[in-house]
Amino acid sequence: MSSTLFEAFLAKIYVNAKARTKFLADPLREAQRAGLSPEEALDLQNIDWVGLKLASKSFEKKRLRHAQGKARFLRLFERK
Amino acid sequence: MGAVVAEDAAGAGAKMMDRFGIGWRPELAAGILCNLHDIDVVEVIADDYFSAPRNKVRALRTLSGQVPVVLHGVSLGLASAVPVDMPRLDRLARLVEITKAESWSEHLAFVRGGGYEIGHLASPPRTEATIEGAAKNLAAARQIVGALPAVENIASLIDPPGSRYDEPGWISEILSLSGTELLLDLHNVYTNAVNFGFDPLDFLARIPWNRVTTIHIAGGEWIKSDSSSETPRMLDDHLHDVPVSVYDLLRAAGTRALHPLTVILERDGLYPPIRELIAQLQLARTALAEGRAFQACHRGVA
Repeated sequence: MSSTLFEAFLAKIYVNAKARTKFLADPLREAQRAGLSPEEALDLQNIDWVGLKLASKSFEKKRLRHAQGKARFLRLFERK
Repeated sequence: MGAVVAEDAAGAGAKMMDRFGIGWRPELAAGILCNLHDIDVVEVIADDYFSAPRNKVRALRTLSGQVPVVLHGVSLGLASAVPVDMPRLDRLARLVEITKAESWSEHLAFVRGGGYEIGHLASPPRTEATIEGAAKNLAAARQIVGALPAVENIASLIDPPGSRYDEPGWISEILSLSGTELLLDLHNVYTNAVNFGFDPLDFLARIPWNRVTTIHIAGGEWIKSDSSSETPRMLDDHLHDVPVSVYDLLRAAGTRALHPLTVILERDGLYPPIRELIAQLQLARTALAEGRAFQACHRGVA
């Protein structure tokens, strides 16, 4: 299993909404286009669809919250 | 109140000290400092200090003079076939050195891949490759930081695709190969159990308890996507109180662990008054003590 590629593909569909939409439309084709093995492509075809939707939404919220939180945290230590 | 003294299951009146602490957050800082008599240890998010001004890091060192500090990383992505990012490890090593933290921990997660930053902890495929990758990354971490981190099980909304191991089997393999310790997050166990339909007590039965040093407790909430036909899933958001189920798991932990544990309450927002968090720590003390008493009773030590 080409794990590095597989992880990269997961990161992409977790983060990139356009890539996720294309993947949901045709998982096998997108997996093959990414250079994944037939076994990996099958794993992705059987992906937990509900989980993918919920997780990607949660990751997006976390990224936003992290950016806001980091700015607020650093402001606490700014010299006036 | 201090640490809970429990009978050591080895018997002969030997005592062991469980410790109870809380995650250090700026919003909780004043409350924590006013309640150090009820807090044995604080856990600091290391990543918040990677690019912090010097005075902020000095403040953390001062804190470690008042209460034991443990560092908790969230962005190394150790459980990955991809090698860990060395500059991040260097920053962590410097922080451990400067703050004199007593230990550090990180998650069994991947957080980036192919140029994409996920922005949070994601469950990697549970495979031989991620077991070997995690072991290599942990060896690199030990070399750079000077000590192995305890590794934490994570919560997930998605059943990680491409997995060949179940979660306790995968974690046990990583612990065995790397020789490191487990930071067991009980809300993450509970979350994955309700999301993916397994018995959390079976999970607890399958992990190597001699490797568990620290326990996290936290709360979450049920969420759904737009489709009303889907079963809700539990999100481990650290924004809610610790549920009864997690105290039950902590009681179960007390029946299994033969050595002292450090229990950390995590809260990342919607902060209640500090007295409510201290009350949750007290519930944790009680639950763990009850589990220990049960264990002692069944070993004929009580």
